[in-house]
Amino acid sequence: MKPLMLHGHERAITQIKYNREGDLLFSSAKDHSPNVWYSLNGERLGTFNGHSGAVWTLDIDWQTRFFMSGAADFTLRIWDCSTGTQLGNIVTRSSVRTCAFSYSGNMAVFTTDKAMGHPCEIFVVDTRNIDSSFSDNDPIMRIPISDSKVTSILWGALDETILTGHEDGTVKIWDLQSGKELAKAREHTNSVNDMQMNKDQSMFITASKDNTARLFDANNLMALKVYKTERPVNSAAISPILDHVVLGGGQEAMDVTTTSTRIGKFDSRFFHLVFEEEFGRVKGHFGPINSVAFHPDGKSYSSGGEDGYVRVHTFDQSYYEFNFDY
Amino acid sequence: MPDIEVKSSWADEVEDDGNQKLPEPTETIKNGVKTITEYTFNENNQKVKIVRQYKMEKRIVSKTIAQRKTWPKFGDSHNDKPGPNPATTIVAEDVYMQFITNKEDSDKPDDSGINKLKGMDQNVMKCRNCKGDHWTTKCPYKDSLVLANKAAEEKKPPIGGMEKKETGGKYVPPSLREGAKNTDSMSHQRRDDTLAIRISNLSENTQEADLEDLVKPFGPYSKLYLAKDKNTNCCKGFAYVHFKFRADAAKAIEMLDGFGYDHLILNVDWSKPSQN
Repeated sequence: MKPLMLHGHERAITQIKYNREGDLLFSSAKDHSPNVWYSLNGERLGTFNGHSGAVWTLDIDWQTRFFMSGAADFTLRIWDCSTGTQLGNIVTRSSVRTCAFSYSGNMAVFTTDKAMGHPCEIFVVDTRNIDSSFSDNDPIMRIPISDSKVTSILWGALDETILTGHEDGTVKIWDLQSGKELAKAREHTNSVNDMQMNKDQSMFITASKDNTARLFDANNLMALKVYKTERPVNSAAISPILDHVVLGGGQEAMDVTTTSTRIGKFDSRFFHLVFEEEFGRVKGHFGPINSVAFHPDGKSYSSGGEDGYVRVHTFDQSYYEFNFDY
Repeated sequence: MPDIEVKSSWADEVEDDGNQKLPEPTETIKNGVKTITEYTFNENNQKVKIVRQYKMEKRIVSKTIAQRKTWPKFGDSHNDKPGPNPATTIVAEDVYMQFITNKEDSDKPDDSGINKLKGMDQNVMKCRNCKGDHWTTKCPYKDSLVLANKAAEEKKPPIGGMEKKETGGKYVPPSLREGAKNTDSMSHQRRDDTLAIRISNLSENTQEADLEDLVKPFGPYSKLYLAKDKNTNCCKGFAYVHFKFRADAAKAIEMLDGFGYDHLILNVDWSKPSQN
């Protein structure tokens, strides 16, 4: 396959996401402007200029009207997808590390880092009307987290619950009405780097620094599968059409000192969802892969790396024909 | 796909005129293929013609997607023309998904070529006694039946490896010289060679202790040799392990070949004995 290399960022990519219909691919990086691309041919639609710090997280609502990004400049900004203008801005007390629109798009959750005396907090805000008063509105819910900070977040079923992944490896479910912790799973031994849902939102996969990715049931946090590798997994995604998961990872840029750094060596690994066995690798990145995402139709996937490139791969016929022998 | 032609002789001629003259970029659309021809200067001040071809496709998509295609570009792409901007969108080289099954290695077509050559090689020179790649008359295993047919093995020549015994120009102790009385010691050493495996594609910071941990579970070994750079003491990428039993060596090869160790995939194989 001939991947498209999207070179819109000057610093490492932090997250990439497709919109619900899959025609747009959004990317955020440690430089201050998230980009949006047409996923079909890699043409860049535009950039969202306004942040003054590394953008850690992004999300798009289901209608692709609003784009939300959280950055290290202590703000969460909401933009209009079609024009790139900023619609709303919430100033927080520390870096916004994760954010997510609810399934309906009416609410958004974001978390802040633990810094300078402020604890890590989960904020839930109303996003039905986004205008200049957005920053003044009180959040619907505000939950302080006293133990390890939240590194990854997802909305649960029916927008009633929130799933969080933490720096110590725990995954928790929170009830939205009461703000109480409903369930907790201690499967990972190190930080959860990324969590992504499968297509019908019944399961989600967590990527962790402890060199594994795990599949959980989204309702009761039952541990279903483990995918083991030898390096920290930075991101994982579940294919919407086949029983495959893709893992992207690699050593932290800081740790790569004397290890073999051959060009284009960092790879995304494909595992079988059920058999937990690796069946394929795709090379190409020049640095650890920080984020992977499947296109909603499952026929292509993208990966964003520490090298600042987003690579969009469309699968060959051989991928569909591959039959895992068992 | 970008296509660069360097017209050097023409540029040399024009150079004296003060090379400001650059033809205008042209765009032609023919049969659904848009061809954009641009002229620019490269680092050597030569005129370079860049031809880019885009296939124009018509696709039928849902209403919302079609509508998004009409959005004007914003932010840093505000001044971009329709179609991908080559500064931001590059078509990378072909990559193939390397399929790994638990039985076979990933499909690399070049490897099978080498394997075929090796297979041919073995048919040429095979000792009748031990099926090694040497002539029967000089076979030291005349008296031993340790090496049953290992005709299916591949023996790669050690790449830049330092064999234990370097012949030619080096001092050879009396016990190892030709016609030495102690044939037992020779065959001992030879025997170790056939129980030797070579592990390559080790990462730079592999140490002897790591190597030991790697091979210990397979059985007792008589010698571990890790190739190290003399100045930096980093691992050169390969090592030799001399097992005491052939079965253990075979098992080690089977388990470790293709094993992911410290982010590199190991290549483990029988070590090719030195050509005496």
